[in-house]
Amino acid sequence: MNRTLHTLAAQLLPPIVAFALLIALWWAYVEWKGVSIFVAPTPGRVASRFFDDPGYFLRNGGWTLWEATLGLFFGSAIAIALAVAMAHSRVLERAIFPLAIAAKVMPLVAIAPVLVIIFGFGQTPKIIVAALLSFFPMLVAAMTGFRDVDPRALEFFRSIHASAWSVFWKLRVPSSLPHLFNGVRISYPLALIGAVVAEWFTGTRGLGYIVYSSWLGTRTPELFASIVVLVVIGVAINVVLSLVEHRVLFWHESVRSTE
Amino acid sequence: MAETHHVSLNNLAHVFTDGRTPLPALDDVSLQVPRGQFLSIIGPTGSGKSTLLRVAGGLLRPTDGSALIDGEAPAEAQRRHDIGFVFQDPALLPWRSVLANIRLPLEIDGARRKRSVPDPEQLIDLVGLSGFRDYYPHQLSGGMQQRVAIARALAFDPSLLLMDEPFGALDEITRSDMRYELLRLWSRVESAGRKTVLFVTHSIAEALVLSDRVIVLSKRPGRVVADLDVELARPRTQEIERSPAFLDYSDYLRGLLREPVA
Repeated sequence: MNRTLHTLAAQLLPPIVAFALLIALWWAYVEWKGVSIFVAPTPGRVASRFFDDPGYFLRNGGWTLWEATLGLFFGSAIAIALAVAMAHSRVLERAIFPLAIAAKVMPLVAIAPVLVIIFGFGQTPKIIVAALLSFFPMLVAAMTGFRDVDPRALEFFRSIHASAWSVFWKLRVPSSLPHLFNGVRISYPLALIGAVVAEWFTGTRGLGYIVYSSWLGTRTPELFASIVVLVVIGVAINVVLSLVEHRVLFWHESVRSTE
Repeated sequence: MAETHHVSLNNLAHVFTDGRTPLPALDDVSLQVPRGQFLSIIGPTGSGKSTLLRVAGGLLRPTDGSALIDGEAPAEAQRRHDIGFVFQDPALLPWRSVLANIRLPLEIDGARRKRSVPDPEQLIDLVGLSGFRDYYPHQLSGGMQQRVAIARALAFDPSLLLMDEPFGALDEITRSDMRYELLRLWSRVESAGRKTVLFVTHSIAEALVLSDRVIVLSKRPGRVVADLDVELARPRTQEIERSPAFLDYSDYLRGLLREPVA
């Protein structure tokens, strides 16, 4: 328990301090230069806008987080399934990988409107954009992961006459977990960005929608408050991932070296 | 069946062709190993010792000649789980505890059909790791990890053990202790008859302490240059390494290994 608290503190403290410093600088700058509220509000204004109606931001933040999470889930599921297929067939790899790269380089802002035309204004286009953005890093992570198997362990599996099925589940999957974790670390924030951008175009709720509408209405405190909420969500995701990683990957060098 | 040798290698030759130039590893190696014999294979680096072991264990198909275990193809014996492998690197799964690593072969076979298998917990005791069953590999020393690998090789109680420099990566003291530990273990698993062991090593002392018989391979490609019966009384203890007979054997082998054999 003590150790969990310790890790938590070690994880949380440095970003909190840096964040506080940044806010202080921002505040000082706005006050000192007398920046107009239409350009940049003080952190105080932003905070008071937030605390006027925290539920508003949390509800919308939760909505965006939910879309991003669903997007990450579907994007990862497809990426992992394809990585499994590609790990077993060079032909499939040659067929699929260029398509995956095409999906990666497709400009997000360009496809969001297209998706609205196809899927309408509901949740679906946001999830798809989030999924598209999380897809590629997860694909690369899974592909590397399934291949990054200790050849000596593989030889041992062969020596006990293990089936391809056993090799996959008992060796390749656990070996790939550290890579998949890294993939999620990269993909989750991307999925969040994807959901926000999709909400600009088609949103009726979510942080992306608030950012967009408050920008249109020059309600800068609301705009900034939304951004802060987004940042907090991103940090929270990282903290949770670190905690889970310490539990699941206790055996891996990357985790052991931080203890 | 009674007359068949446990391991029978007939005119084995192997050439590795995956590199740029073909690499001959074994050349016309024949070897008959009776059941229950402890046989060491010794030779300079690149003499094909590991290749020979892999062919015998069905991990590698020889380019020429044949390997038979109990008169059958090695792959067949492997399928029956009658071969246990220990490699130089223990290659334990880092996410599995000691017990779970030892259980791995049993899990992979699903049904522990036909024969009864030893209790993994007892295997832990047998290799001297009582109290460490829930430890993870990264919490163990190299010697302890190799003990786990040995227990894991015994999971199906195979009648043939193939060991490829299992103590090669250990420090001198641990290494010497492990030899006698292995001997103790080998003579204890006697109920169903002693296991046949093929043991690859660089170390002359190791080969002599352990074996009933030592095979010397030449430099690449490996050929059998000597086949020596080690007639030292068992049970053997550390004392034996100072006995005149031991030193004679040792000098003889050293001479063979030093000579540049074509």
